[in-house]
Amino acid sequence: MRLKVDGKEMEAREGALLLELVQVPTLCHHPHTETRGLCRLCLVEVDGRLSPACATEAREGMEVWSDTPGLRALRKTLLEWLLLTTDLSLAPELQALALALEAEPGRWGEVPGRKGREAIEDNPFFLRDYAKCVNCRRCVDACGDGIMGVYALTLTGRGLLAHPTTPLDRPLPETPCVFCGNCVQVCPTGALRPLTEV
Amino acid sequence: MEKPGLLPLLDARLPLTEEGVAEAARLAGVSLAQAWGVVRYYPRYGEVREGRYLVDDPVARARGIGSLLEGTVGTHPPLGLEALAPAYVRVEGEERWVEVGGRAEPFATFRLPFALGHGRKLLPPEPTDTLEAYRAQGGLRALEAARKGDLTPEALLKAVEEAGLLGRGGAAFPTHLKLRAVARGEAPRYLVANGDESEPGNFKDRFLLEHHPFLVLEGALLAGFAVGASRVYLYIREEFQAAIRGLKEAIGALEEAGLLLVPTEVFQSGGLYICGEETALLESMEGRRAEPRLKPPFPVEKGLWGRPTAVQNVETLAAIPRILEGLEAWRREEPKLFSISGDVAAPGLYELPLGTPLGEALRRAGGEPEGLKAVLLGGAAGVFTRDFAFPLRYRERLPLGAGAVVAFGEGVDLWAVLEGLAHFFQEESCGKCFPCPLGTTVQLALVQRRVRDARLVEDLASTLKGSLCGLGQSAYWAYRSLLEVEGAA
Ligand code: SF4
Ligand code: SF4
Ligand code: SF4
Ligand code: FES
Repeated sequence: MRLKVDGKEMEAREGALLLELVQVPTLCHHPHTETRGLCRLCLVEVDGRLSPACATEAREGMEVWSDTPGLRALRKTLLEWLLLTTDLSLAPELQALALALEAEPGRWGEVPGRKGREAIEDNPFFLRDYAKCVNCRRCVDACGDGIMGVYALTLTGRGLLAHPTTPLDRPLPETPCVFCGNCVQVCPTGALRPLTEV
Repeated sequence: MEKPGLLPLLDARLPLTEEGVAEAARLAGVSLAQAWGVVRYYPRYGEVREGRYLVDDPVARARGIGSLLEGTVGTHPPLGLEALAPAYVRVEGEERWVEVGGRAEPFATFRLPFALGHGRKLLPPEPTDTLEAYRAQGGLRALEAARKGDLTPEALLKAVEEAGLLGRGGAAFPTHLKLRAVARGEAPRYLVANGDESEPGNFKDRFLLEHHPFLVLEGALLAGFAVGASRVYLYIREEFQAAIRGLKEAIGALEEAGLLLVPTEVFQSGGLYICGEETALLESMEGRRAEPRLKPPFPVEKGLWGRPTAVQNVETLAAIPRILEGLEAWRREEPKLFSISGDVAAPGLYELPLGTPLGEALRRAGGEPEGLKAVLLGGAAGVFTRDFAFPLRYRERLPLGAGAVVAFGEGVDLWAVLEGLAHFFQEESCGKCFPCPLGTTVQLALVQRRVRDARLVEDLASTLKGSLCGLGQSAYWAYRSLLEVEGAA
């Protein structure tokens, strides 16, 4: 199957994700949890439309652009907004990306965010520190349909207030949680992190 | 497969207790995690405080929300009451009331005044809320022809195609393409009438549902018949209680008359702006948080419970019986409903031929375009404009949306109106993707500071454009258009 990526003809296998063919940043996508399409950092232009590279399959004759001025503005701005609203101090990859994109969060002025959330320590194994959470849902997917099928995590709220929680907002030991640690493993920001070093 | 929906099960258990949530989850066959996510998503499962709320729409913002808020405990999202603004909602125990012009009426009986409607084809001059009244005005002929076999699904689809009908919900997608795609799919197939009208400035669907339920139902049944639907759902905004009752009665009357060609039922919406987005709507019907799905697949292939589903706006469906009545007449003057409010002498619902210049539409409602500062066209997902020669048609320079026209006189502070819209988007963002909850929060902060920096607004736009659904993708239109209007003034 042939398609055009950033002006160059390319060969791709049937069913390949665009993510395998272009160099773009990702944040929400995780192959094990099947989380995808949410953060929009990996957007590319496909035949004139914006499509997430992590959730779009290559098709014969497609024309893909991965680095237009609009896409650059989007990635830089998104990083700025994340830095403004969320504590990314334990997310070195995002910090490096912000540096590479020359993010200047200060240009937006004061914006209310999620940095003030208090960490939840309700079990001996890991902390849930949602001031650092970008709401990528990897943990929810890992606990649910993606890996475990346990459903000890869900979401609460809407908009910028939305974040993971437990059923009935109960402490984790009072939920079906089996402390497998999959959610901690897939968390990209350090919002979920082990309490004891192993 | 059809299962008992989680939302109706929760509704039946209001006010909710933990046991009630657990029981609803069990009966719906879903995890407690899913049920809790739902409870923590829809406002009506949260704590509804008693008291008086100002209906926060663009007209209220133009009048000056500060003084209108006196004696209230907060604001309520728009309710299609712009032509009567300012309006209030009062919550007392399980009862809710609409308050306009000093009079209060319970949600259960409140309807928009019939006198607000001005038209002929889509808005008959008499109420048609009984089967007899509707039949006396020439209704039900197409439905009867379909029942007798004189009207085939193909003939119906062909008529809709030749009429060139575009979806009236805002996306302007060719109706026949959607219907045909579903008709081609494997059974069971569904038709959903989208009556979740929540775009600020729009009240056309509310009016149709409240005063012309048989017209809407005939359209929905015809569309359901055309696609071979095994069920028709009327997805109606939960606040439109009188409309819901009227529709249920109308369904009963049609059934008695042997004209209910497809089993039909009402589904009360989740009560959020995003529920009008067709995939979010389907999610709420399936008992989940009303968050838009990634597309493809599109609902015409995988819709409700994964089955081919046509989701059609109420006005689109109401047009179908009219098209079948006379294609020529329809094409000569294609009617579209415009909800006109704000600074005009006679705010209301106006049926006008597509292509009517904006200025003329305003004059029909007793407005004087020359004396206006600007018009908000299309609603929150709309634009401010002063282009009064603009022809009100789809696929033009400006978006028509669902047909909202809000007029603002010289004295209006347009930034105050914009702040209302920015607040609306921030409140209604579902939070599933990243650009939208972040961008609408940033936008509100910028608008509150009255930032006119074109570079910043361009970057805001470039980023919101990358949102997952139309809500985020259109959230900056009004902001950018206000800068344009100011620049030109
Ligand atoms: S540790 Fe608990 S919450 Fe996390 S994935 Fe495992 S079961 Fe789910
Ligand atoms: S806790 Fe981590 S994995 Fe879960 S949504 Fe937040 S950032 Fe993503
Ligand atoms: S654009 Fe907004 S409303 Fe739409 S999916 Fe994203 S967060 Fe939800
Ligand atoms: S990585 Fe593709 S949208 Fe997040």
